[in-house]
Amino acid sequence: MSEKLLEIKDLHVTVEDREILKGVDLSVGGGEVHAIMGRNGSGKSTLAHALAGREGYEVTGGAVLLGGRDLLAMEPDERAVAGLFLAFQYPTEIPGVATMTFLRSALNAQRKARGEAELSTPDFLRHVREAAGRLKIDADMLKRALNVGFSGGEKKRTEILQMAVFEPTLCVMDETDSGLDIDALKTVAEGVNAMRAPDRGFVVITHYQRLLNHIVPDFVHVFADGRIVESGGQELALELESKGYAAFDEKAA
Amino acid sequence: MNRLERPEIRLGAAEEALIGLLREAGADTAAERLRTDGLPTRRVEAYHFTDLKALIREVPATLAARAEPGKGVRIDGTAAIRLVNGRLVASDPAPAGVEVGTADADKPLGEAIPDVLAAALAPETAKIRITRDLEQPLHISIETEGAAAVSATRADIEVADGVAGTIVLTLSGSDAAHFVNAAVSVRLGAGARVTFVQIDEQGAAVRQIVHTDFRLAADASLRALTVNRGASLSRADLSARFDGAGAHADFTGLNLIGADQHADISLNVSHAVPDTTSQELFKSVVRGHAKAVFQGKIVVERGAQKTDAKMMAQGLILTEGAQVNHKPELEIFADDVVCGHGATCGELDAESLFYLMSRGIPRAEAESMLIEAFVAELIEPIEAQPVRALLAGLVAQWLGTAARAEAA
Repeated sequence: MSEKLLEIKDLHVTVEDREILKGVDLSVGGGEVHAIMGRNGSGKSTLAHALAGREGYEVTGGAVLLGGRDLLAMEPDERAVAGLFLAFQYPTEIPGVATMTFLRSALNAQRKARGEAELSTPDFLRHVREAAGRLKIDADMLKRALNVGFSGGEKKRTEILQMAVFEPTLCVMDETDSGLDIDALKTVAEGVNAMRAPDRGFVVITHYQRLLNHIVPDFVHVFADGRIVESGGQELALELESKGYAAFDEKAA
Repeated sequence: MNRLERPEIRLGAAEEALIGLLREAGADTAAERLRTDGLPTRRVEAYHFTDLKALIREVPATLAARAEPGKGVRIDGTAAIRLVNGRLVASDPAPAGVEVGTADADKPLGEAIPDVLAAALAPETAKIRITRDLEQPLHISIETEGAAAVSATRADIEVADGVAGTIVLTLSGSDAAHFVNAAVSVRLGAGARVTFVQIDEQGAAVRQIVHTDFRLAADASLRALTVNRGASLSRADLSARFDGAGAHADFTGLNLIGADQHADISLNVSHAVPDTTSQELFKSVVRGHAKAVFQGKIVVERGAQKTDAKMMAQGLILTEGAQVNHKPELEIFADDVVCGHGATCGELDAESLFYLMSRGIPRAEAESMLIEAFVAELIEPIEAQPVRALLAGLVAQWLGTAARAEAA
């Protein structure tokens, strides 16, 4: 259980010539849920995007290993194949690509790259329908173009649906709770909790403690000025909620 | 330094050859017109982005002779009428509800030099009259067969009042360096409902100029899709005139080109009477050093109140060195109308590409998905399954070629 899924060592990332991440260290083991909390602009989302390999996020120092492999040397698609999944804060609308077609292309691309057989149509449909049912996603929505015209909540639920379909080993959730009402939040949390497994890890990025009532973390990290300034258990989230982020600012200085 | 326009133009080898062919055909007036004007250059506004004189330096010295069908496109699930080297091939039986015949070559469809050439060089005019709803799409195949030649085709298509159907016009033939000129008129009777798809399936050595002229009577509805993708030079002139109230047309088009191809769709729509509507959507996908052009002109004539016309042009540039030129124009002579136009041009959306790749889809496949999505908006409204499958197939083929070229 203690084998580390994800190892981030002294990660430095520059965006448009500005250093945003200034030495991030984080280890996530199988079965663990890590929450990363911090105010806007502290670099939380930069960490998520850098892990996924977004263009323009230049790694200037440090290392990231996923399952012992050098994540930073991989293209974004190879990172997904290696088991990484990023649930986007703002999922991209892609007109002209039906959600179902997308899910199938992506799953088959991942399986093919791993040397696994493609899922048969009935197996694929069953797999998607089960996950969609748990997340209260209407089957009709899957026929529509990916994320196009979806409400904020529908977009977030579709992200979690993808997570359930692709079955990644490391899930990074970038402010999945933003823009969700309390019912949608519960649905999303249930979807995530259903996926908790000994061989899977989660990094949950959020502003608010609220989400962590539903997805209970094993570890909480406070992010400020591009690095983790405090780590602790679930109680740290409650402390943040009562004291605010300002109490941790001096640690960043 | 200003230079005065010279009264005498210098004729190139292509013009000399065409003048020779016109004289052989006994078309002295047309020959004289070409001698005086030459092929249009960029100084002629309608040819600003497609300088025919510069792009057509030479043409074959012979006019295409009578020939049998050869390598022309075949489309499953359609009934075909073949026009080979300008002549109707009599062997195929006409589909039910379609009358087919020929007449002497007709007067030009317009004033431009290519119209004059087509009318003067075409050996005959094919007359196609559709009198009943078409059970399956009608394929009109303009083919140029044999060794490299100049080939001209004239065809008149008439759709009777109230008749519905899908017509697919293809231009194809042998791989030789033909110069192909075609002029096709399409007349929609009152209440006729027509989908008209025109596809350039030419070999890479072909240069072609095709003029398609639409007339819509009252309450007629038309969906037109013009695709340029095969020829090294393809100029598609589209002209349309609304002659009766209640008529509607969707004019759409796609330039899907690469390497050193040059593809141009130039549309001229005239709303001549009140209460007519049109929507224009033109897309270009270009790679290599290809150049795509879309010119769209919507004219709302005096008194044509309640006209509603919206034109959009979108370009997708896949490689540095490829280019897209858009020129939308509105000329409005009535005051109670809704008209607009817009144009966008750019690369594949980086956000979308990253999103797809972050889900494990390799870059080349993600790019293909986005390109297919970009053109889907043009193909999806085509209801006739054989034609839609043909279009989807040719897009996939184009994308497949792209993947192979990258791997090489």
